[in-house]
Amino acid sequence: MDTFYTRSPEVEQIIQGLNLTRTLFVSSVLIGEPHTGKKSLVTHLFPDVPVVSGEDQEAVERLLNDSEELIITDFEQLPNKESLDFDNKRIIATANYVGNQKTIDTLFAFIYTMPSLKERPEDLQHLKTLFLKEACRTLMLNDNAFSPDEIPSDITMNSKSLRRAVFYHLMIQQMGEEEIKSALYRYFVEHLEGNNGYKEHLGLYEVPLIKVGLQKYGSQLKLSEVLGINRNTLRKKIHEHAID
Amino acid sequence: MNTLSIDFKPFVEWDNNPFILFSPQGKILYLNNSAEILLGYVSTKELFDLALAYAPQNFGYKTTALSLRYDAFNFFSITVGYENEEYLSIRFYNAPRIRNSAPVDKEKLSSTDINLLLEANIALFKTKNSNPLQLLTDPDMPHLKIDQNRFSKIVRKALESFRASDSIHIELKLLVGEHVIIEEKRVPIALLSITANGRYIDQDGEIKELSEASNIRSTLGEKTIKLEIPLLQ
Repeated sequence: MDTFYTRSPEVEQIIQGLNLTRTLFVSSVLIGEPHTGKKSLVTHLFPDVPVVSGEDQEAVERLLNDSEELIITDFEQLPNKESLDFDNKRIIATANYVGNQKTIDTLFAFIYTMPSLKERPEDLQHLKTLFLKEACRTLMLNDNAFSPDEIPSDITMNSKSLRRAVFYHLMIQQMGEEEIKSALYRYFVEHLEGNNGYKEHLGLYEVPLIKVGLQKYGSQLKLSEVLGINRNTLRKKIHEHAID
Repeated sequence: MNTLSIDFKPFVEWDNNPFILFSPQGKILYLNNSAEILLGYVSTKELFDLALAYAPQNFGYKTTALSLRYDAFNFFSITVGYENEEYLSIRFYNAPRIRNSAPVDKEKLSSTDINLLLEANIALFKTKNSNPLQLLTDPDMPHLKIDQNRFSKIVRKALESFRASDSIHIELKLLVGEHVIIEEKRVPIALLSITANGRYIDQDGEIKELSEASNIRSTLGEKTIKLEIPLLQ
């Protein structure tokens, strides 16, 4: 059984609606961006209901014949939705997008919209903490050493990008000289080409170096001393890399 | 037969077609029971203006075929007349109610707690709208046999038509003493009414179609939707 946690009032309303219909023979669909927890939510609420993916029309039709309740994930993937008969069945579907509004409207009595993580700030912090624990466990790190607040929240792809951001952050904290060299090695294998390679990739080293230097030492004069380069050279580089 | 001694007033009084007698100033001098109910939905002035507009040019009576609708009242014709300058009468003819003819396939119907279905639909509505809702239901409403999916679609569409309304009042009650005949059996009726300060009518066609298929009589007004739901057992 998948676990699901929310503090978002919108999602709580969806849960209330789905719970109220759990004894009824009605069809419901939950539509929302990918990686917003739609499948986790419905499998959490209906743990005993068979689950089938909309990628397999044949399997969906077979299970519709055999069972009076069914969870259909990736509903938008079903090639032939109009042929389905949901009469007297308890159907809970999830879809990443609406597709044909008329078809959805005809097939489903209850049409819910799952809010994205951007619309659920209440859930963001919780998920970040959850992913941090998961990442610490996977990378065998002490989870007390990190705070969710220091991790940038990338929610461009909802929980997928957020989880990735947490893992990246933790891995970057652990990287030493060898790992950085190895990461750069892999990067150059893929990107080194043309006839100006040295200059083009110099920013990989200079930008973080100057940014941190300016932050740490405040003035360009002091930084040029620390770096052991001419002040004019430093100024030129700041300009070249458009560092504020 | 001498009819002079017969008092015709009770026949008019209890006629199901509304009848009103106006003074030349538009004051109501007499109205029958049915007209009294009609006046709950339309103003006296509007009906007087209607009588003036359709009055015959000379003394006498004129019947005009026209389609009139005031909430649940549906008229197909009116007769306006006067025999002197003291009284102006108007009589409305009720349009016949279309009898439901949708076949009832009881195997496809499930015993349902209608309050539960209503609550689920309200929860769905609340996920998309924050309009204040008032709900008044009868907790003792008996279970009924209904196509739950289709009925949910009707309620969803009905509620959606109030998506921009200020305050929505929902009431579910048993219509005491009223019945509908379905497959030669008297079936009691529950009334679900949704009222607000206005509503969208974009889905009215579908609400009507789905209701007819479920033997539900729908009245779609400017500010109200009324669904008369047969309590099939």
